[in-house]
Amino acid sequence: MNGESALACRDVTVHYGDVAALVGVSVAFRPGMIHAVVGQNGAGKTTFARVAAGLVKPVAGTLSIGGCEVPTGNVNLARAAGVELVHQSFALPPSFTVAEAMEFGATGGGAIYSRRRLEARWGRHLASLGVKVRLRDRIRDLAVELQQGVEIARALVTEAKVLILDEPTAVLSPAGIDTLFARLRGLKAAGVTIVLILHKIREVLAIADTVTVLRGGRLVEGPIATADTNASQLAHSIVGSEEEKKLTGADEAALVGASEAVASAAAPSARAASAILELRDVNTRPDPEGPTLGDVSLTVGRGEIVGIAGVEGNGQRTLVRTLSDLTELQSGRIVIAGIDVTHTPLRDRRAAGLRVIPFERNSEGLSLSSALWENWSARKLLFDRLLAPISPSRLRKECAEALDAWDVRYATTTQPAGSLSGGNAQKLILSREVDPAANLIIAAQPTRGLDVGATAFVWRSLREARARGCGILFISSDLDELFDISDRLVVMLSGRIVGEFRPPYRLGDVGAAMTGALA
Amino acid sequence: MKTRLIAVLRALAFVLLALVLCGVIFEFAGRAASTAGNPYSAILMFQSIAEGAILNRGAWQDSLRWALPLFITASGVAISFRCGYFNVGAQGQFYVGAIAATFVVDGMRGAPAALVIPLTFVAGILGGAVWALWPGVLRVKSGTDEVITTLMGNFIAGLLLVYVTAGILKDPSGTGQVMASRPVAAAYRISTSSGLSPTIIVIAVIVGVAMWLLVNRTAFGVLSSLAGRNPIMVVWQGARLSRLGLAGFVLSGGLAGLAGTVEVLGPNGRLVSGFLPTHGFTAILIALVASLSIAGTAIVSLFFGGLAAAGLYLPVLVGLPAAAIDIINAAIALFITARTWPGLERLFKHRAAAAGGG
Repeated sequence: MNGESALACRDVTVHYGDVAALVGVSVAFRPGMIHAVVGQNGAGKTTFARVAAGLVKPVAGTLSIGGCEVPTGNVNLARAAGVELVHQSFALPPSFTVAEAMEFGATGGGAIYSRRRLEARWGRHLASLGVKVRLRDRIRDLAVELQQGVEIARALVTEAKVLILDEPTAVLSPAGIDTLFARLRGLKAAGVTIVLILHKIREVLAIADTVTVLRGGRLVEGPIATADTNASQLAHSIVGSEEEKKLTGADEAALVGASEAVASAAAPSARAASAILELRDVNTRPDPEGPTLGDVSLTVGRGEIVGIAGVEGNGQRTLVRTLSDLTELQSGRIVIAGIDVTHTPLRDRRAAGLRVIPFERNSEGLSLSSALWENWSARKLLFDRLLAPISPSRLRKECAEALDAWDVRYATTTQPAGSLSGGNAQKLILSREVDPAANLIIAAQPTRGLDVGATAFVWRSLREARARGCGILFISSDLDELFDISDRLVVMLSGRIVGEFRPPYRLGDVGAAMTGALA
Repeated sequence: MKTRLIAVLRALAFVLLALVLCGVIFEFAGRAASTAGNPYSAILMFQSIAEGAILNRGAWQDSLRWALPLFITASGVAISFRCGYFNVGAQGQFYVGAIAATFVVDGMRGAPAALVIPLTFVAGILGGAVWALWPGVLRVKSGTDEVITTLMGNFIAGLLLVYVTAGILKDPSGTGQVMASRPVAAAYRISTSSGLSPTIIVIAVIVGVAMWLLVNRTAFGVLSSLAGRNPIMVVWQGARLSRLGLAGFVLSGGLAGLAGTVEVLGPNGRLVSGFLPTHGFTAILIALVASLSIAGTAIVSLFFGGLAAAGLYLPVLVGLPAAAIDIINAAIALFITARTWPGLERLFKHRAAAAGGG
């Protein structure tokens, strides 16, 4: 079997510190096909891709490329053997022009460059791959789809025989995914073997010839032909029977991206619910962290979850920063619980019931080197006077009670927050931000990087908050998740709101709004 | 608790390492010097340090004389470092506090002591606080690096000290060899020249207890420590970082000014140009060795106070210049900086982000 495989690994085991990322994984991919590797967050998909590309050295196991064994953990040898990896987060220097980025790391160009020579060299290459891009544009100015196109083109400079793409669809709109898939089919026709790391079953079934499922670092099954399986079977393999019992059908489908259209599990909300948040014609001043908001008007009712959809970087961050008084307004009004907070600092907005689960839990949400109880009590202490006396032992006890109630796994409240796993860190933030006094919760990418159990937990706690009458603004780049949890869905594009949807949501319509195809 | 103990032991190990290194250097230097008829040895040096710091009669009092003002300044430094601001201007704040105190005590000659002494203290504390306030304002309003401004402030304050002791505050009856102010009238002194008195001990104890409570038993303590470790997170929680930061600056400056006042009213008895030129820097060192804990600062201050006291014995007993103590201090500083580097790195990592976030 080894003789005819384009890429094969045998008994690969990888440890990160004490954590086993991969355990005894053996898999072989046949040439000239599109292979999908799926699994939840933390299942070991990315680690697998890195082992195959020689970026990670496993503690045990072998790697063979095109039938020849290649020493593990050596990028240059893996590359020479024809394996290229396109990373999840793009690795091109943002200040380079397209031509420069292509030349960067390529060989055989000579020591002296001229712009014209560079452009001549790479113009043809990009055109042959169907990437329509101006060679003088800077990488940072390109749309995400084009950046990815350039990234793929760069990976193919060396005439790679095996191309591995790590979660290439995560940053794309539905239309962008179609473009990507067309490009991949073209490459397959040209004889390239493609390994796709994915986490949506829908995408797997749409593009891949075979599928391989990882769970908890172990191989569950595969590669099996996609023709021989179906969505519910795959969902079962990915989630595992134990977790499956705790999930509703809609939640499970959303977790694994199994279905085309998802009926929201939400109870139909009362239309006349009074508004807890109102943004009226909000425009912001330029902000270094994202596009400015343009005439954003948005209402969130009590007991309503409003989802914000959009390709990443289209103003979602600015919206959250605006609500948190971290971006300056140019015009417009913000009303929370009937109080005009347009010119009110975040502390007073929080006192009015605003809670924020920020995008980056490790920098914006927690101080990793501070103790759990300090992180947890920050919100409370801020409402106090600075010199207000505190009793650390009582705060530690309250913190322990809250953490127990939120099912956080920890040893002591004095351990640093950085010692928690991603899911437990997010639960710590939830235990701080979702309190009885909360009446508007901004949840920015609250499930990113979490495994199935933790994701379901976040959804459940936000739904419980909704049941108590909380208004929730849920920002995510995962449409399946948004379809599952949102009572109403708003689409952002370039800092503007370009569409509003109610369930049942249709992927095509929302996707069109995300890319501006909806006029 | 266990991690704390490890941190303390590690700090001690580094101090010990620095001492051993200095011992080796002085041993060789001493042998080389023996041909010039001036031999000294490391053993003798450490022996006389021990004598000068603890063993001799009166050595304890002498060590405390140096330790207490150092502790007052160092606890302020610890507070500002905890807030995430690298106020290295303790020396300048110490000087400006001393200058302000001298102005008051000199200008109010003849008034009752019960009035003059409190006002002198207020002036000294305010002087130090003001000298920390302007770098603080520059930092939180426009993001100016406080390492630069407070360091510059040290030079300005040092020159200001020369200026006033040579000018407005100059003692007209002085010899002209030492530029200094008129001696503080005996009624206003809080200690004799030996430098230790119940008043100074009480002041140090009050500062210690107050700062310990502030750090460990108030909202400020928790929030400033969070802000020092991750200002971005605290901003997302709705804290006004600038207020926390300014409080840290003003407190550290005020305490350095208090130490300056103690020196003028106590052991020094007058304002001398260029006096105690390394006081503020030793205080920074103490705060770092103590890992910014207030209790630790108290203990480490005793150690460095002992070194300072011993420094005066060295030339007499061993024939070693008093600068040997500075070399030991510098070696300890080097090792401690190496030890705390990850902490400092964390501090610097967030600086840029925090500059715009306030």
